[in-house]
Amino acid sequence: MILIPCPWCGSRDAGEFAYGGEPTPRPDPRTATREQWRGYLYLRNNVAGWTTERWYHRMGCRRYLTVQRNTVTNEVRQP
Amino acid sequence: MAETGVVARSPIAPAAPEIILAGWAVSARRSGAALTVTDCTPLTKVAIKAAPVGATAERLEVPFGRVSRQTWTLGDRDCSVMVVGSGPGEWLVLGPPGSQVSLIHQLSALAGDGDLVAVVDLSHGRALVRLTGSWAAEVLAKETAMDLGDSVCPDGAAFRSAVAGLAADVIRDDRDGTRSYLVGCERSSGQYLFDSLLESGAEFGIEVDGFVPPDI
Repeated sequence: MILIPCPWCGSRDAGEFAYGGEPTPRPDPRTATREQWRGYLYLRNNVAGWTTERWYHRMGCRRYLTVQRNTVTNEVRQP
Repeated sequence: MAETGVVARSPIAPAAPEIILAGWAVSARRSGAALTVTDCTPLTKVAIKAAPVGATAERLEVPFGRVSRQTWTLGDRDCSVMVVGSGPGEWLVLGPPGSQVSLIHQLSALAGDGDLVAVVDLSHGRALVRLTGSWAAEVLAKETAMDLGDSVCPDGAAFRSAVAGLAADVIRDDRDGTRSYLVGCERSSGQYLFDSLLESGAEFGIEVDGFVPPDI
């Protein structure tokens, strides 16, 4: 079980959340190259270890939050 | 020619016998069981969204996660309403059946100047179930992972979490010292929630009790 610390609701089961993925900076569509845009849309770091993620608390406060998760141990902590 | 009128129907099929009360088809069944479940969908449900901190939030006087029972003048009579801090910057106001128009007027007048406020009538868009009895927490604990102990969820507390796999608002609202919870979810999931609670409460002798207005 993964417990995610929601700043509004406290620790809740990950089943209450929707995964938002790694926050990726959006390039300016007017100046971005095709490669940059493709990287923004599809490429993720996918690290084995601590990574920063966005989650949406769909069954709770309905707010987005940012946490750090260890992709090896599923340990979650506040960024 | 027989007189006809509009009858509102809950998504939860009323247990026989069925009667019409306050314009809603409800169950007339009365139960004296120690643990009961009641379809309270006929209650008026109005949602209000505003900034979590601001003039509207101050006027509502209810923080996120808490419930306040207040007396409001709706139309020409004083009515008991329940204001629920259901989310950050989100409140649910429960009133007697058929009080939508008055409640919306009251809430619109309550909105602070300059606040961006949304007031939406959810009366026919949500199902609401009341679970009452000393075993109510044990039954609900079978459906949700939340800690329902008095230290975390005392009388007058509210939270939104997964109940029977549904996103549901849970309000602890004890009645005469007996544990009682109001559980609300999307209308289309109402019958499923009701049946899940009945199934979980079977080992505790749960029975269906009919809705009696205003019941708030």
